[in-house]
Amino acid sequence: MPKDALHSPETLLDVRNLSVDFRTPQGRVKALRDISFPIRKNRIVGIVGESGSGKSTVLWALLGLLAKNADVMGGEVRFGDRDLLQASEAQLRATRGEEISVVFQDPMTSQIPVLTYGRQMLDILYRRPNVSAAEKRRLAVEMLGKVGIPDPDKRIDQYPHHFSGGMRQRAGIAMALLTGPQLLLADEPTTALDVTMEAQIIHLLQDLQKELDATVVVVSHNLGLIAELCDDVVVMYAGEVIEAGEVREIFHNAQHPYTRALLECDPARIDDVSRKLPVIPGDIPDLTKPRSGCIYAPRCQRALPVCHETLPPDVARGETSLARCHLLDGLHHDPSWPPPLDVMTVGQECSAGTKPARAKHDAALLEVSELNVQFETVGPLRARLKGLSQRHVDAVLDVGLSVAPGETVGLVGESGSGKTTLGRCVLNLVPSQAGSVRFEGKEIRNMPEARFKPLRRDMAMMFQDPVGSLSPRKSVRALITEPFQIHGITGVDLDAEAERLAEMVRLPKHFLSRYPHELSGGQARRVGVARALALNPKLIIADEPTAGLDVSVQGEILNLMADLQAEHGLGYLIITHNLPVVRHIADRLAIMYLGRIVEEGRTDEVFARPVHPYTRALVEGVPQPDPDRRRVHVSISGEVPSLLNRPKGCDFAGRCPFAQDRCRAEKPPHVTMADGRRHACHFPLG
Amino acid sequence: MLYYLTKRLGLSAVVIGLVVLVLFSLLHFIPGDPATIALGPRATEEAIARYAEKMHLNEPVWRQFLIYIGNALTGDLGLDVFSDRPVTAIIMERICFTLALVGAGMGWAMLLGIPLGCLAAVKPNSWLDRVTGVLSVGTIAVPSFLVSIWALLIFAVQLRWLPAIGAGEPGQIGDQLMHLILPAFAIGLSWVGYLARMVRASMLEVMGENYIRSARAFGLQPRRVIFGYALRVAILPTITLIGMGFGGMISSTVFAEIIFARPGLGKLIFDAVMARNFPIVQGAVLVATGLYILVVLFSDILIAWFDPRVRESL
Repeated sequence: MPKDALHSPETLLDVRNLSVDFRTPQGRVKALRDISFPIRKNRIVGIVGESGSGKSTVLWALLGLLAKNADVMGGEVRFGDRDLLQASEAQLRATRGEEISVVFQDPMTSQIPVLTYGRQMLDILYRRPNVSAAEKRRLAVEMLGKVGIPDPDKRIDQYPHHFSGGMRQRAGIAMALLTGPQLLLADEPTTALDVTMEAQIIHLLQDLQKELDATVVVVSHNLGLIAELCDDVVVMYAGEVIEAGEVREIFHNAQHPYTRALLECDPARIDDVSRKLPVIPGDIPDLTKPRSGCIYAPRCQRALPVCHETLPPDVARGETSLARCHLLDGLHHDPSWPPPLDVMTVGQECSAGTKPARAKHDAALLEVSELNVQFETVGPLRARLKGLSQRHVDAVLDVGLSVAPGETVGLVGESGSGKTTLGRCVLNLVPSQAGSVRFEGKEIRNMPEARFKPLRRDMAMMFQDPVGSLSPRKSVRALITEPFQIHGITGVDLDAEAERLAEMVRLPKHFLSRYPHELSGGQARRVGVARALALNPKLIIADEPTAGLDVSVQGEILNLMADLQAEHGLGYLIITHNLPVVRHIADRLAIMYLGRIVEEGRTDEVFARPVHPYTRALVEGVPQPDPDRRRVHVSISGEVPSLLNRPKGCDFAGRCPFAQDRCRAEKPPHVTMADGRRHACHFPLG
Repeated sequence: MLYYLTKRLGLSAVVIGLVVLVLFSLLHFIPGDPATIALGPRATEEAIARYAEKMHLNEPVWRQFLIYIGNALTGDLGLDVFSDRPVTAIIMERICFTLALVGAGMGWAMLLGIPLGCLAAVKPNSWLDRVTGVLSVGTIAVPSFLVSIWALLIFAVQLRWLPAIGAGEPGQIGDQLMHLILPAFAIGLSWVGYLARMVRASMLEVMGENYIRSARAFGLQPRRVIFGYALRVAILPTITLIGMGFGGMISSTVFAEIIFARPGLGKLIFDAVMARNFPIVQGAVLVATGLYILVVLFSDILIAWFDPRVRESL
């Protein structure tokens, strides 16, 4: 930032030359290197970066709550006339919660399960001895009401597990704002939430910021969230601030090659679905090694020899913007940089060719019809005691779905929609109660495991958590050849197979001797793909294949999956809540809500003209990485109802802006439209 | 909750029924005539016949069992072979001594062990943590009867600070408390170590949870964070351990009561076994089992009370 901005009276908090190291068995990780940026009053500041960029470390450093192995190596955090880094523990404690407060990433784990919200909120107000307990409670109830919790005077006496994810995050915001802090920090506030909930939380934060004149810092990897919510943006990469500025400057006129690349990689920004997704080649640098030159140089498409040797200057532009790059100033100034927005700066070499034409066969690989999966909720004895007639919930209700060889079908839904249950049921991991599941024409539903096992060679699963689904005690070589052992396949050279599979998923050979904890998210995901492919399956069921991956890496995985499909004619069933991703890879989409498919059709048609109001809400619910496309209103309110009280009529009726009496009385049947699209809505849109 | 309680009480009844069955069978599985066993080898024919008549020994086995169950349910556990006094009355005289001993032993172990474990977990690898760790392993490894003997030698015989034997004069609370100190110390000592280690392990885990970080980020005082938040969650597995521990403690009271010549359930069982006084053995074991089941049930209910998620799932 330009020096005069630093001392401006509108600066609420000022980070100057902050450096933080982490002591690890691998050596000192230089997590933050000499970072500086101001936070201006009454603005929403976004800190954006991928994993390992140090964005969360900044946030915890501001609060003085860094992990025990962290050392602050230097710098200042000016807050008013104080330096928070020099403050005593007692002074910091007086600041936390009162002047600076936090909204946490995961509301499911960041609220203590054994205390009521009332107790937790009363505890936060402990520094107000002059306020009576009744008055504190009134304040808490008022704040809960303000963040949109219905019946706050009753719900304040409930525990976190009584609240749904979205409601918990609202309560988390209420707790953070209870004391009227000057600065509110939000750490990935919507990452753990569903799309429709995310939109509501973004709007809530915006409204409250305006109403309370607060200053907000949002830490996120989600460019859409940053664009929609923030006024100022700080872009971090590998422990450095490489660019900062007002939101429009960053999103429309990015100066640093990394910012440019990051924006280009976001699938939500790419309207042309026929091309492969761009990627930033390479990995984040090893932060234990001393740097020379620009931290981004090894991955930069425009790197010059000087970039590897000399630290680039911080080039200011206007009052509030800056970017750290040789191309912008000095000897190596390149007036042609940055190029116009429609010129792609990354991924040129892999943009060759269009999406491969998929062979369409008449015979479906997988055919699911009228499938029902029920889960028991209470035992038979207890049900009789309580006089309950319904002991089961319908997790999957009358689902029909098909996947052809070489086809990608996206199964989209929010948490609790039954999409993962459906996937597991297809793989015979969950018993089903009615319907049929056919694989290559053969009925496989509830087949005994002994008979089903040979079929597992043809149907593979990619699990949701790339690292957690790998055994931590096995090497990559053992992991990717494990399917051979599971199926007792002998007579193959396991070492040769391991190398073949590693090459197939573009994993360098020396990774074969590593263990899962030594892999990055993207590499672990590749191992997962290799495992799934080991026995040449025909169908792959991928559960959230890009969850937990950075934007610059998820393109690699999706491109890889597309290449393998073109080569081997694989059928994919991709289970996800991420619409921008599924838009790029799926031929057809099935939208699930509360265990039912509410709409199904070709991806481009579903996106262009959603028929079911829920689909429209989902499509509109994705925050766009463009500050000029901010939404003024949230298209749907409320949350997914519990399976335990499934509505009598249409499952979506309670949240649907177009619901009529008939919707609440009668469940809409599945209807096939002239163009082959299927939906379950009494009053289809369009 | 009501359903859960009913279910647990039903299960407890089944367990007690099984215990009764085992105890009852013991007499019948031992070779020879129960009356001879009960009265000893030197009993006269006449005495044996009278005893067999009084104890319904001439009835079929299943009837005897039903009679025993029926009597037990009405609080009649039979008569002492020697004094002819009701077993129930004898047990009731002694049981409060055992309860006081177990309560005092577990009580001081909890009062010391739980805070020690907390402090050790809050500052892992500090000198306090290391000392606690070494002492915990040490006290766990030493059997309680050894502690009893040494405590007796040092504090009662050498230093003469505390009384050596007995439970104190009836009615004099102060004297009874003085007599309680040494045995309670002896049976509780290893539990200080157990509890400190258990609490330390679960506290370490809980202190790493996100909600503890949240509490600190809201600026709560460390005391409130540790005892009001972390311990509140970390105590749950410890409650189960304490519940189970009562069972183990009832058996260690046998040693303590013998060594300190203290009246109580353990001493009663020991003396009765030595004297082959079977009605007393049967009755006392039954009561001890019942106590144990009650304590475990109570600890489960306590957990449910502490953890709203468990409470509501019941």
